[in-house]
Amino acid sequence: MQTDTACIVAALFGCGLYLVLSRNLVRTLFGFLLLSNAVNLLLLATSGDPRGKEAPIVGAGNFPAVDPLPQALILTAIVISFAVTAFLVVLVYRLALDHGTTDSEKLFAARSDGEENTP
Amino acid sequence: MSLGLGLALVLLLPAAGALAVALVPRRWLPFPGFIALGVAMASLCGVLAIGSKAGAHPSFVLDWSWVPECGLSLSFLVDGLSLFFAVIVLGMGVLVLVYSRGYMAGREGDHRRFYAGLLFFMGSMLGTVFSNNLLLLFIFWELTGLASFLLIGFEHTSEEARRGARMSLLVTAVTGLVMLLGIVMLKQVTGTYDLATILRSPLPQTHKDWLDACLVLLVVGAFGKSAIFPFHFWLPNAMTAPTPVSAYLHSATMVKLGIFLCARLFPIFGERELWAPLLGVPAFSTMLLGAVLALMSSDLKAILAYSTVSQLGYLIGYYALGPNGGVDYDYLHILNHLFYKGSLFMVAGIVEHAAGSRDIGKLGGLAPRLPLTAASCAIACAAMAGLPLTTGFLSKEFMLKEIFSAFSVHGYLGSFAVVCVVLTSLLKVAFSAKIILRVFFGKEPETVTAHFHAPSAWMTLPPAVLSGCALLAGIAPSFLNPLLQPFTVPGLHAGTAEHFQIWHGWTRELWVSLAVVLAGLALYRVSHYGDRPCPGVPSYLKAERLFEWLHEKTIAAGRASVRLFQTDREQSAVLAVTAFAGVTLGAFAWKQVFAGGFGPLLQFVDFTGGMSPLRLLVGVFIVLPALGLVLFRSWGGQLACLGISGFMVTVYFVLGRAPDLALTQLLVETVSIVAIYLLLGRCAKQGLLEQWSDLPSSAMAQGLRVAVSCSVAAAVGVLILVVTGMPHHNPVGNFFIRHTEDMAHGKNAVNTILVDFRGLDTLGEITVLLAAMLGCLGLLMRYRRNSEEQKQGRDLTPGLGLGEEGKS
Repeated sequence: MQTDTACIVAALFGCGLYLVLSRNLVRTLFGFLLLSNAVNLLLLATSGDPRGKEAPIVGAGNFPAVDPLPQALILTAIVISFAVTAFLVVLVYRLALDHGTTDSEKLFAARSDGEENTP
Repeated sequence: MSLGLGLALVLLLPAAGALAVALVPRRWLPFPGFIALGVAMASLCGVLAIGSKAGAHPSFVLDWSWVPECGLSLSFLVDGLSLFFAVIVLGMGVLVLVYSRGYMAGREGDHRRFYAGLLFFMGSMLGTVFSNNLLLLFIFWELTGLASFLLIGFEHTSEEARRGARMSLLVTAVTGLVMLLGIVMLKQVTGTYDLATILRSPLPQTHKDWLDACLVLLVVGAFGKSAIFPFHFWLPNAMTAPTPVSAYLHSATMVKLGIFLCARLFPIFGERELWAPLLGVPAFSTMLLGAVLALMSSDLKAILAYSTVSQLGYLIGYYALGPNGGVDYDYLHILNHLFYKGSLFMVAGIVEHAAGSRDIGKLGGLAPRLPLTAASCAIACAAMAGLPLTTGFLSKEFMLKEIFSAFSVHGYLGSFAVVCVVLTSLLKVAFSAKIILRVFFGKEPETVTAHFHAPSAWMTLPPAVLSGCALLAGIAPSFLNPLLQPFTVPGLHAGTAEHFQIWHGWTRELWVSLAVVLAGLALYRVSHYGDRPCPGVPSYLKAERLFEWLHEKTIAAGRASVRLFQTDREQSAVLAVTAFAGVTLGAFAWKQVFAGGFGPLLQFVDFTGGMSPLRLLVGVFIVLPALGLVLFRSWGGQLACLGISGFMVTVYFVLGRAPDLALTQLLVETVSIVAIYLLLGRCAKQGLLEQWSDLPSSAMAQGLRVAVSCSVAAAVGVLILVVTGMPHHNPVGNFFIRHTEDMAHGKNAVNTILVDFRGLDTLGEITVLLAAMLGCLGLLMRYRRNSEEQKQGRDLTPGLGLGEEGKS
């Protein structure tokens, strides 16, 4: 469980971070999605090796079961990252509508101009 | 009624009055001025009752515990000094409130705020003078500064008022903080914040340097509050306050707090060698400087402000030279200043109100129109100049007498003091003559005739009362002895005060006084010959320029540091955060290598354990689409990669024995992809998004990006290996599995954790969802179609902004 999870999470982290650092806000959004998946897998790794274990449902089969606490944390994390994703999608959409671009450099330049123009 | 209860009432009454005046709606409390007046009078009666009950030489402590851990208690010391200042604060407060009634009538602004401010100030002043705990004294001390800030900035639409308020707050608050340092150091030496204890027991003979530093810090606080050089500049700038505030705070009471502090410190530090030069040199310099600037100024209130600065120097200097064993006439000096300066400030307010100007050059001939005010002003000016039959004469005679005797004791400082006092007295005669002659006599300018309207009795009576006091006490000074006698404090006062008399015979002081008056009149004649205008204060003597410079530079430095650390670009922020994480983890790893390689760290890692072909396959299908997402340029391809990677994570959850996670992930992933496809895809179709792939950036930025991503990825990989490798024998999760049936009555431990064991966390999670939903709604619903568009039935993209109408 350890080595393969570590490799997957590392790869997702690398790709996600690379995307988040993009100038294009759409790519930043995609990067955020990858990163939240990566973090969820990271948490899952702490629930231990699942070989020979069951899901943490009492009476569903023979014990022992995997640690349920990381799963509960991940469930919360999934829902919250979904909320943030939804907000980010709408935010990018709004920016694209209002400014016709998702290039953060251009948006930044437009904002600085606006600041200089306002008294 | 016990004394404790009485004192609590006296202290709480102004605070309660301030709250009532500020918060109760106008229709229930129609006359804030009268309420304030009633409160002040009740408090005054209370203080007098406490004083009379306490006996001839009261000194007792009332103690209520507050924060015993840091030595802070609501502890109040009732003795002669605190009672004297309390009577001044409240007595002057009553007169000023009466005067405000006339001054504020017909004025713009929220009167309730004004009266609430005055009462707030009154309460904090009472707290300061009665405080027995030094920390408590500091708290009230700063509250008076806050009240002063609010009152100076009362007409907050004026730039000048805001500037004056800011300046006074900064100077008094910063010097107050310096004083706090001194207080804490004093506590370190004496072991207590309790003033009465410190006053009772002599200072320890050790820690001499420590005590000297402590004295310097405390005195800085006093100098800041009392506008002593080099902090003298804030007081003239505070004159943008309404005149009652200037009369009350900036001449009679708040600026006297420095003097109060010196009087409190005198029994503690008065014997130290540092005391006399530390206080004396700045105080006497300030006295002379203030008098010179007062003669140069032409604004009536500026003259009075500079002369107040001068007089404050005189009072502090008096304590500085205090002969060993105590002083005798400090109350006389303070009362004298209270009488004439309070009266003069009120007169200045009347003149401004009646004639429409405060500039000496634009005034004149007001005596026939304002006879009572002219008489008040004449008496007050006579007192300021130290002419006979006023308290000013008494005060000056005793000052000269003591200073001539101090001449031998203090050496150079004594001679410096004599020169300063004589020169200042001379200058005071000159600008007293200037005020009375230029404002009330001579030819009346036409502007004054055009503007003139008579002041009400509310305004003219209080200065008359103050001037009357100065005159009465000057004519019959023997009244003062029994009046001031009960306020003497052992340790501060020597108790050897002479009986005040109107005539002391042809003494040396009288001859000096006579010469000073004649020379002063000559100086006025020479410097203001004919209609020569006042020169005004030259800019190189205005110390506030240094303050303004510091102020500007501080703000500029703040801006620069913000620019250094804060950026508006999210990439830079992300880069900084992740690079920091990478560096920290890297340093940790580096340390591990030095401590014996990764061996001990990775000893528990089972590198090949748990590998199964199925999981490896799934892992490949998570990672490959992620790489594709980075590399692909078309948005369809990217979206597909995103989806595949996300759904494969679902499968991985199944393999990790987590069915709930798999279900949730499936739903969430679907909804996310659909939302992105619908909203962003629509934008792409309309040509609003020019491209989906990365935008070009410089080679260096690209290199940095790759380096940071790779190093953080590697760090996270190692982190997981180490963390999951650590054996944990007793995971908390077992508890939930064991008790999910008997405690939460559910079989699925993950579910029971979420809705039962940690239900409150889930509530927080739902709140986040709600907040995000509201945010989305806000962003989408900003556009509302107008009626014409509704008629046309135009199918607009939801949330299409107003600014886009022209473009689309």
